[in-house]
Amino acid sequence: MIKGFAEAVYKKYDGTAYDLMNEALEKALNMAGIQRSDIQGFITTFLPGIFDGNIFLHFFPDQLCGYLGINPKYIDSLDYGGPSVLAGLYRAEKLIKYEGLDNILLLFGGKGSLVRQTRETVDSYENLYDGVTNTPYKQLLSGYSYKNPLSDYALVAQRHKKIYGTADEDRARLMVKQRKNGNDSGYSMFTGDISVDDVLSSPVISSPLHLLEIVYPVDGFHAFIVSKSPGKLRPVKIKKYGEAHWSKLPPELEEIMITPASESSRNFRDEIKHCDAYELYDSFSITVILQLEDTGIIKKGEFGKFIEKTDISSSGDMPLNTGGGSINRGQPAYMSGSVLLYESLLQLNGMAKNQVRDINSVFINGIGGWSRNHSVSMILGD
Amino acid sequence: MNEMEIYSIYKDYFANSMLPYIKCKNCDYSFYYPRNRCPQCGSDKIEIKKSSGTGEIYSYTVFNNSIWAIVSFPEGFRLYMNIDSAGEPDVGKKIKIKFIDGRPYGSC
Ligand SMILES: [Zn+2]
Repeated sequence: MIKGFAEAVYKKYDGTAYDLMNEALEKALNMAGIQRSDIQGFITTFLPGIFDGNIFLHFFPDQLCGYLGINPKYIDSLDYGGPSVLAGLYRAEKLIKYEGLDNILLLFGGKGSLVRQTRETVDSYENLYDGVTNTPYKQLLSGYSYKNPLSDYALVAQRHKKIYGTADEDRARLMVKQRKNGNDSGYSMFTGDISVDDVLSSPVISSPLHLLEIVYPVDGFHAFIVSKSPGKLRPVKIKKYGEAHWSKLPPELEEIMITPASESSRNFRDEIKHCDAYELYDSFSITVILQLEDTGIIKKGEFGKFIEKTDISSSGDMPLNTGGGSINRGQPAYMSGSVLLYESLLQLNGMAKNQVRDINSVFINGIGGWSRNHSVSMILGD
Repeated sequence: MNEMEIYSIYKDYFANSMLPYIKCKNCDYSFYYPRNRCPQCGSDKIEIKKSSGTGEIYSYTVFNNSIWAIVSFPEGFRLYMNIDSAGEPDVGKKIKIKFIDGRPYGSC
């Protein structure tokens, strides 16, 4: 169960990633009512550049524990990109249940701003360093003009447009509705009403994706403390869980429009349909669409109709990305998983400004890693 | 064949304006991105073959004033490349391979 959770998110944070990490931890400890010495487990992740520009940190999780002043009996780093924190929650529950540990700290984030300033992304950050290769196929991938993850998602969006007729307007409508949720949530970074025209007249960055359907990497950490007791909070735990890992380059996938979410959600499709809110990974507009399809919520090709008739606000028929998603909150260190989990916990604990009424379950899906190779699906509830 | 040998043969193909790919003799799987064993069945009975060099656009995106695409080839493999297009690029449009700086590009 989650005893404490907190975020420390800034568009651009002037201090170091280490300072920022401590801010999130301190807030979560206060909520949980525990001390640093009570932390028995620690799970985190690393992506190139997000720790003050370093492409690599040696014995990374150990360094963080030393800085934070914690002495966990279990230390781990998960490397699934955006959904890592969700996989971390599952492992934390197992450590409590089977290893008898208590107070597992999930600490995920970093600084997106320093990577962004170089005009690279975490996927392309290697380009700044001669001799560093992030993939065995680099020789055959360099020299071309593209930028992942943007280019890979743009390729999917373009094919989706051609094969299923998903129009630019359909994706834009999702962005308009998510922005409304962000405005209502009271903690969005990007606020103010936007229209379908605003989205469509924003610059096309990688066709067919416009600026306003692409997440903005920011500086931030989230801390979640998973414990035997929920403390002052609702006893929220994972009710259903699946993860899937498809380690393939997109050209070698049978179909790029199908994601591993189709596998990670496979064992509980019926339960997914009956959840009270949905928090789906939104690195790009198309990412949300792929997960709606692959988890069985809508059929492929029906997104246009779905988004036109569905009210996704917290009082609507299908509350979806109720906090506005990371598109509006900002994406801490190129990973949206924590943003989804944080909003789910606000909603389940009755702490949201735009509260979903009578909420007992939230479906969360995270997707990420190298060319969206990893997916984590879960239903949170009590 | 080890990985470095595959890259060196690929380089020769490129220098002769030919598009290589790898075919597994055990399971028939075709792939482009070099591995010394078939990623489908694990066999090391693989051979490098020459593609016709005529493919079609599987998907594309216009980024930074150039076209980035995944192109499908009839021999059963796909790869990423930039393409140039006199007209509008489209999913399903035919492309021919050409070589610039020893690297395959598409043209349609
Ligand atoms: Zn084979």
